[in-house]
Amino acid sequence: MSIRLNALLKSPWVFHVSTGSCNNCDIEVLDCLTPRFDIERFGMVLAPSIKHADVLLVTGSGNRKSMERVKKLYEQAPKPIVVVAIGECACSRGIFIHSYNCPVPLDKVIPVDVYIPGCPPKPEAIIAGVVKLIQKVKEKTKNNA
Amino acid sequence: MPDRNEILNELKNRYKDEIVSFYDKSPRRVYIEIKSESIVNIASYIFKELKARFNVASAVDARSHIEILYHFTLEYLDLLISLRVKLDRENPTIKSLTSVFKGSNWIEREMYELMGINFEGHPNLKRLLLSDKWPEGVYPLRCDYKEWDNNAIRDRGV
Repeated sequence: MSIRLNALLKSPWVFHVSTGSCNNCDIEVLDCLTPRFDIERFGMVLAPSIKHADVLLVTGSGNRKSMERVKKLYEQAPKPIVVVAIGECACSRGIFIHSYNCPVPLDKVIPVDVYIPGCPPKPEAIIAGVVKLIQKVKEKTKNNA
Repeated sequence: MPDRNEILNELKNRYKDEIVSFYDKSPRRVYIEIKSESIVNIASYIFKELKARFNVASAVDARSHIEILYHFTLEYLDLLISLRVKLDRENPTIKSLTSVFKGSNWIEREMYELMGINFEGHPNLKRLLLSDKWPEGVYPLRCDYKEWDNNAIRDRGV
């Protein structure tokens, strides 16, 4: 397990899924990849398929239809996988908490490791969250070793 | 090209029995309330003869009735015509406009699933957006919508 997590730390491949968001968080995620913030210097690359991914980024409040898909994606992902909830909606459904179409929050459907709140979170906040995620994984590896 | 007054007067004269009320809100906006039976006639006249663009339709639950607003834009006049139709709340039924313009197909399906409005003559009146597990006969955008899902979590857990 520890070797695998170490390997994951070197260059985490990220799969981004939007569960019915307003696209604002997705734009901030996209900003992180641009030269200005350049999250690729931490080795992060967007993965084209969940089967290649080490990190699952989730944005959006999660409606009845997309939550089923998120569950399937999590089942298909190679383990260990780290789940990052980006934005207020993915953390707690934000203003959509009483919506008829958003019955359960994301962390009741799949286990979430990192929450990055904000509407939308700034790219700096996303990078700070990512750094915390790397520290968390490092600690886990230390404890396991 | 005919001007604004000519077009609106022609519309008023042609359908004087079908128009319930006419509200000239601003130079760019006109609301025309019509009888629900004559929607196909008037909408096809506006769409085909006046060469309007069908923007969208919106449904409102006004408690005493359900109304649909069909929005048409006349781009050469910079004018937005909204046809208002009031429907009975118990059994809201109106003729489908899909035979006149195909653009109304999906919006009618959406109004059917979210408001429970029945569109007669629609080629494929089934749900558009809601999940398959959604129960029949529950319309989420009606005023009297009640939570039906016992598994729903409505607190933030803090």
